[in-house]
Amino acid sequence: MKEMIKMMVVLSLICGISGATLAALKETTAPIIEEQVLTYVQAPAIESVLNEYDNNPIKDRKKFDVDDQTVTVFPAISNGKLTSVAFETSGKGYGGNIGVMVGFDVNTMTLSGIGITTMKETPGLGSRVAGHGYTTQFKGHSIDSMKLKKNGGDIDAVAGATISSTGTVSAVQDAINIFNTLKTQFAGDWS
Amino acid sequence: MNRLWKEFSKGLWKDLPPFKLVLGLCPVLAVTNTANNGLGMGVAVIFVLTLSNFVVALLRKIIPPKVRIACFIAISASLVVAVELLMQAFAYPLYQQLGIFVPLIVVNCIILGRAEAFASKNSPLLAIADGLGMGIGFTMSLTFLGGLRELLGTGQLFGVHMAWEGFEPFGIMVEAPGAFVSLGIVLAIMTFVENIQRKRKGLAAVQSATHDCGSCGGCSNATKS
Repeated sequence: MKEMIKMMVVLSLICGISGATLAALKETTAPIIEEQVLTYVQAPAIESVLNEYDNNPIKDRKKFDVDDQTVTVFPAISNGKLTSVAFETSGKGYGGNIGVMVGFDVNTMTLSGIGITTMKETPGLGSRVAGHGYTTQFKGHSIDSMKLKKNGGDIDAVAGATISSTGTVSAVQDAINIFNTLKTQFAGDWS
Repeated sequence: MNRLWKEFSKGLWKDLPPFKLVLGLCPVLAVTNTANNGLGMGVAVIFVLTLSNFVVALLRKIIPPKVRIACFIAISASLVVAVELLMQAFAYPLYQQLGIFVPLIVVNCIILGRAEAFASKNSPLLAIADGLGMGIGFTMSLTFLGGLRELLGTGQLFGVHMAWEGFEPFGIMVEAPGAFVSLGIVLAIMTFVENIQRKRKGLAAVQSATHDCGSCGGCSNATKS
């Protein structure tokens, strides 16, 4: 009996102390990790979609509430004036969600480009939505309509990767809706 | 002091974890595609192994024998999660490279093996020496193998171009088959060298891997150290 109690006490103590230490460590490192993730995962996509800027889009990022979600927007500011914004949306892909960083030019009201941040699509097939050949179609595209060619629009899908292409386009459509909702607020926050 | 040095140095050559003890081969094969990755993984293992040995040795008198494996696992798993968080916070590119093999350090035979075979039976100071020695030996092995594969597979070492003009890299070396092939060759060379040394001393040649039974802890022979 005494042996059993000792076993339970020692195990519970060890696990309890481990749990507490790890929880504390996670709390303290959470902000640092958020910065790191932004720098290494989002930053390459942000740079490729924004126009010229002389600020730090990640440091100047702001959170906006749209409907029932919070969107983190990265601004591109040149000579004190806001030129473009970028934020991330996601669409349902073949192997999971596809994270798409969408950039908008606020002066011409067009897309400044897209970049894929995270995805689990089939290598060599669905993963080609991240390639230059596919994403370049979005550069300078108008925000009035965004559809694949087979749905009456003008975006070429990746041959053999309908689901990945549709997921990416739906993510861009969501981004356009969010942009239309928020565009009046942008000028106020960053000019 | 002599004892301390002996425990520390055995992990550096005589009981080299991946090549002599043939333990912990999973990360050896998986992360040695570049020397940098091998070094990074090795440093993570040094941290986990040394601290795990220290904590287990500290608690060896109060951990009941019947639940000792569960306790060892709880301790090493917590340390690995700590390493993972610290790596994410301070070395994110390395974390992206190592991927899932950081959490897999928990099931690395070396950690549990040394806890069972050594740390649970020796003082904290000796346990630290053992952990450090094994960890550094592991790191040296990983960096060596990583460097070999990177050099032959891409012509670079730690990202610096080393090969001469017109060197055609053996792409296969940085893929899975290359890992198995190069590990096999290194093991063969080490056994060959060991056999020569043994012949000089008049001993029989090595029949199988010099598997120190005690370092595994997987069967009843585990009491031998």
